[in-house]
Amino acid sequence: MDLHNYPSQGENGRFEQILNQFLLKSLHIILDSRVPANRPSSRSGQIKKSDKCLSFWNRTLMEPMIIDIILVRESPNSSHTMLSNDVFTETVVERWIVQHESQSQRSTPPQTSDYKKTYKKSIILLRSVYSMLRLLPAYKAFRKKSSLKQSCNFDINYKVCSFSSPFSRDEEHSMKKYSFVPVEAQQGRLSVSVIYREDLSDFNLDAFVSCPLEIITDYVGSPLTDPMRAFSIRENHHSAPSRRHSWTSGGLHRDVSLLHNHNQPLSGSPPLYRSPYEYSHSPTDAYINKNQNQRLTSFQKTSSEDLLSPPLSSSPSPSPPTYFSGGNIQSRPVSIPHPMMSRSPKYLSPNLSDPSRHHSLPPLSPRNTKYDPSSHESSSGIRSMRNTPISLGQKVSRDAKEDSGRFSSLLSSSSSPRVGFSRSSSRLSFQDDFGDCDFSCPFIVDDVDPPDMQMSPNLDARNSSEVSSQTSSTAKKSQDAAVGALVHMLRTAPPLRQDSSCYNSSQSSKIEMEGEIGAASEFFNPRKTSDALEELKTYKEMKNLLLSKSNAHMAGKGKIEN
Amino acid sequence: MNCEVCQLKELDIEHFEIREVLRCILHTVLFHRALGLVRPKDIDLELFEITYVQCGDVELERKIDEKIDQFIDRVEKHPNKKNQICLSFYEVKNKQATWFTNKVERLYWEQWYINLNVAQHPKGISGKSYSSKVVVDPGAESRSARRAALETSLRDVLFQIIRFVNEKKDHIPPIPNLEGVSFPYEITISSSSDSAFGMDMLKRMLQTGHPTMLS
Repeated sequence: MDLHNYPSQGENGRFEQILNQFLLKSLHIILDSRVPANRPSSRSGQIKKSDKCLSFWNRTLMEPMIIDIILVRESPNSSHTMLSNDVFTETVVERWIVQHESQSQRSTPPQTSDYKKTYKKSIILLRSVYSMLRLLPAYKAFRKKSSLKQSCNFDINYKVCSFSSPFSRDEEHSMKKYSFVPVEAQQGRLSVSVIYREDLSDFNLDAFVSCPLEIITDYVGSPLTDPMRAFSIRENHHSAPSRRHSWTSGGLHRDVSLLHNHNQPLSGSPPLYRSPYEYSHSPTDAYINKNQNQRLTSFQKTSSEDLLSPPLSSSPSPSPPTYFSGGNIQSRPVSIPHPMMSRSPKYLSPNLSDPSRHHSLPPLSPRNTKYDPSSHESSSGIRSMRNTPISLGQKVSRDAKEDSGRFSSLLSSSSSPRVGFSRSSSRLSFQDDFGDCDFSCPFIVDDVDPPDMQMSPNLDARNSSEVSSQTSSTAKKSQDAAVGALVHMLRTAPPLRQDSSCYNSSQSSKIEMEGEIGAASEFFNPRKTSDALEELKTYKEMKNLLLSKSNAHMAGKGKIEN
Repeated sequence: MNCEVCQLKELDIEHFEIREVLRCILHTVLFHRALGLVRPKDIDLELFEITYVQCGDVELERKIDEKIDQFIDRVEKHPNKKNQICLSFYEVKNKQATWFTNKVERLYWEQWYINLNVAQHPKGISGKSYSSKVVVDPGAESRSARRAALETSLRDVLFQIIRFVNEKKDHIPPIPNLEGVSFPYEITISSSSDSAFGMDMLKRMLQTGHPTMLS
């Protein structure tokens, strides 16, 4: 209420201002809360009506202002009639009575503070009316009418008058009354009361909301109303990874079928593990998620195994890598090149029986050519010399050629390590031959001319020192690997007949061996072909000496026996 | 000038209903005490078919929400106690610095006590079954019945407020501020056991003119 627009007319004037404002305001409040503004000019029309009413009450402030809220609905009998005129039923659902009761008697003159209190109290009263209007049942009808507007089957009307027809008894029984505490003033008191229909269910206000709803053209929809929509969205979301790996599904099944089924069951069977990505609520989505995750993990395995990377399978079975190592071959047969196959076997295998070996080495000296190399004979000679008992003369005579041939063949095909091998075999053969005789010199003199005659061995015990010195010098110049092998053979050789002469020769030979060992151990130097030839010569010389010694010994024995 | 005290009807509410119920009650009281220029705003409750009115003051709404948050926290901390919100209107008397205290003296002329009994079980489904014929969804029916009863009780509380503000008008001091809530006010939260509940209320009534120490 605005009291500033009114000219100051004393306390009485102010009270009238308050009264007028109060009436106007209450009328506005009630109409605004009950009569919806359906028409654009309705609000202004209401104001105009209220102004007219207020002007009327300005003349008679003592008469109450009765505001009826009327619910207009179509009569139920109107549908059965053929009349074009609609019959409406009007029902007063609320009646507001705003009244000023003046007091004619004034005990004391009004004061300034009085109208302030009156103003304050009237404001509070208006607040209460305002709140009460929202708590009464008719407010619901007002809200429905306001929201539905033209499509509602009932209407709300109002009537403002200073008199009203009384309610019938039935209406009074169905209605309640609430009276606000009046505002006491010296000039009178303001009172507001309301008679309202408590139960509006008879009017079926909810049924009146039978109008068609507005069609929302851009309706998107919600998951609650369209569960399949949500499902399709989820499926599309998950179908992306499935599409991404869809090409592996078929291949996956094929590979999985080939795998040893130790890890997981094949597709089509329910998964045995729960996917950590599962978050859907529907079982279908859960199953889809599980399957896709299973496919993903399996795809990872397949890709890793196809790339021959370390398997990612959690299975302890080592079959996947082994399989795929072989499976790759099955899938992509690749002929593994073997460059070694193209090589000549002669470079690989120390086959001594290859007759072509001797061609790789330079030809021997002419002295050596007397004995035609025959690998076959040499090998047989080696075997015969080992197995047969010692018949030194025959054997030596028979084997001399073979030995030379063997040596030549051996030397022709030998490189340094293989020479050692060949030498060891030759040394072994000679050890067998000369077990009974004095073996002062382990080295056989070869037919090849030795570079130094002093290097030729001497089987005589008296010449053993000279021979040893010669041999030692030879070993110095030639190689120690053969010497070492010969020493080894001599030590591991089976025991010979225990003759004094043999014993002496063996002792001397041991001494010589020791000397040779000491000499040989000092000279482990790389060998050359020239060194090998020199060694061959020394072997021949040693052989001749041994043979001469053995012939002399045998001759002496034969004389004794006789 | 005496202090008018209004003990509103106790409401049995659920935890999730605290905010709406408190907003409705507090705003209704304050709307009747905002005697200056206001722009009324109708607010429809979501849980009930009740519409209440706010002053349209943003600052007031913020203060009320803060207090409601504090109340909710208090309820969570003291679940087995009756919780109460006190809306007090006071008048600032002249600042008289004495050697006892330099605080501003407040004269409380009106206090509103909102009594809420927050249920511990949010579902509100009683474990008892009175008959062997179990309803298809007994929980929903009980909830709807409880909700309807609470709506009626809340509506009764609002009627109680309107009745009180209309009956008690003489104790209201002069309007100091015509903007928003015309009178200074404060909202206090307290939770007390059943035995000491009445004592706290009595203490507050006797402490008219002194600021409440409960907050």
